[in-house]
Amino acid sequence: MSETKQTDNLVSVRDLVVEFTTDGSVVHAVNGVSFDINKGETLGLVGETGAGKTTIAKAILGILPDPPAKVRNGSITFEGQDLLSLPEKEMRKVRGKRISMIFQDPMTALNPIFTVGDQIAEAILLHEKMSKAESEKRAVDMLELVGIPGERCKEYPHQFSGGMKQRVVIAMALACNPELLLADEPTTALDVTIQAQVLEMMANLKEKLNTSVLMITHDLGIVAEMCDKVAVIYAGEIVEIGLAEDIFDRATHPYTKGLFGSLPSLKSHEKRLHPITGMVPDPTNLPEGCKFSPRCKYADEGCRCQAIPLHDLGNGHLVRCRKEGGEK
Amino acid sequence: MSAFLEVQNLKKYFKTGRGTLHAVDDVSFKIEKGTTLGVVGESGCGKSTLGRTILHLLDSTGGKIFFQGEDITHVNKQKLRELREEMQIIFQDPFSSLNPRMSVSEIIKEPLILKGGMSKDQMDEEVKKLMDTVGLAERLTNAYPHELDGGRRQRIGIARALALNPSFIVCDEPVSALDVSIQAQILNLMQDLQEERGLTYIFITHDLSVVKHISDEICVMYLGQLVEKAPSEELFENPLHPYTKALLSAIPIPDVHNKKQRILLKGEITSPIDPKPGCRFAARCIHATEACRKPQALEEINPGHFVSCQKVRELNDSKIHKEETI
Repeated sequence: MSETKQTDNLVSVRDLVVEFTTDGSVVHAVNGVSFDINKGETLGLVGETGAGKTTIAKAILGILPDPPAKVRNGSITFEGQDLLSLPEKEMRKVRGKRISMIFQDPMTALNPIFTVGDQIAEAILLHEKMSKAESEKRAVDMLELVGIPGERCKEYPHQFSGGMKQRVVIAMALACNPELLLADEPTTALDVTIQAQVLEMMANLKEKLNTSVLMITHDLGIVAEMCDKVAVIYAGEIVEIGLAEDIFDRATHPYTKGLFGSLPSLKSHEKRLHPITGMVPDPTNLPEGCKFSPRCKYADEGCRCQAIPLHDLGNGHLVRCRKEGGEK
Repeated sequence: MSAFLEVQNLKKYFKTGRGTLHAVDDVSFKIEKGTTLGVVGESGCGKSTLGRTILHLLDSTGGKIFFQGEDITHVNKQKLRELREEMQIIFQDPFSSLNPRMSVSEIIKEPLILKGGMSKDQMDEEVKKLMDTVGLAERLTNAYPHELDGGRRQRIGIARALALNPSFIVCDEPVSALDVSIQAQILNLMQDLQEERGLTYIFITHDLSVVKHISDEICVMYLGQLVEKAPSEELFENPLHPYTKALLSAIPIPDVHNKKQRILLKGEITSPIDPKPGCRFAARCIHATEACRKPQALEEINPGHFVSCQKVRELNDSKIHKEETI
């Protein structure tokens, strides 16, 4: 990351709060999340199931189902525009054109009754002034860009393997050269050798098109490989955020440390893992104070009675822990 | 002494409209008591079919299975019931492998009812013990699967598999559907149970760091064939088959400083329907030559390290122990 990129802000999320109202109870999915992504930068959003990762991406794209979802607070500024207050008609010009999303499951993200070529061309036709024939030509180019022979554009999704379908989904997301790509677990459904191909391709494309990426994943290996910055999210809150080197070398929050301790390592010969005890809290009934405190071995009364602010460790490395991971 | 479990040239073919699908093709290995054999490979390589064929959940097409020295390739219903007490399975998906209409205690109790010979009170006592063993709180006795998260559900699956006190468990991707922090808890539990009860595991997974962590020996499968088999440490330190090398290099490592050199494979897994003789990996292998189209044999290259590749010596000259090459 160069110094010039630091100031070139593309998207700013501030104090985002998203709730889901279900029968009588309220699910607190996202509780005051703030982060920035600069141009050409990749931010990794790491956390477990139900931490609120996908909800954040959907809020940015304005595709949260309302009801039950409701953005209660916060702002999402994209190139100076507040996306949350944008009328739907305007939002449609942004969605798919300037911001696009790769969904987790390539098997369900494609329409089974249209050819892949038509599906990619649809995204292009919606946003660019061009003829049908031109859009089809562009669709073929996009397929070739992601490493699929252009003549396969007349085929249907079921004729492709999982890895190929995910490439089609990526081709569709990149069809209009978006400035921001939201990648929601883009390789989770794929085998490792295919995952390696897809990640390599994404890294190359990112370089070529200077796209910013929000990479949602639970795989710390992928984060190490792809991301400039990392935000660790737990129970709808960022518990630690910083440059990838800082997070990997100086993980401070007990939850971040716990995540690393849970991973079986390919290098060490340790025969015992160090998992985090207990379970993720129920999002309809979150604990007071630090949301990780019931599972944290360093927690005391002070952690449980008050909301914990993010604390700056320097160099943009922020941690939401009043004990700095038990060291104080 | 014979091995605890041995399979010889095991084959499982499926007849499909387009031809014969070779799901498991000529796989042989032995497992010693109390150890874990990891089976890794990508989706569709036949690793689950292998586990299920050993347990007689699928009938084998060819080859032999020996369990504690006894040939169990073909058994009658009566004998199969007895075997099932010894051999159990933990399934991948804790969401679909539990009956949603049964409570936790009913699910764990079912094998005990099927076995018979226990009073209701004895069974309740046993269920309580099992729940305690796998770390399920007693208050969950009457809960239903949908009320529980994936980790707890997988604990139910483990308790059910342990109910009849088996000596051998096939674990079919038991942690793949779980989050990392929960995954670590379940892996630790499975290791503890193995130590306490002297269990023997076949651990099927696509996650290489998990398999390294839990296995004593590892088999790498590609399109129904066993391409490499070695003790866990040896396989990771000294992979010899080109596919294993590519597979290991493809794992993203959680370390920002050591970006490793990738061996990127071209193309995708080919069709397992009516495969041509010869190495099935040849189509994606950069070292493939004409000779790779002939059938390959599993060969012991280093002690305990078997590889099925005719070019293995040529490709790995420096890594093969000196005594072996002379």
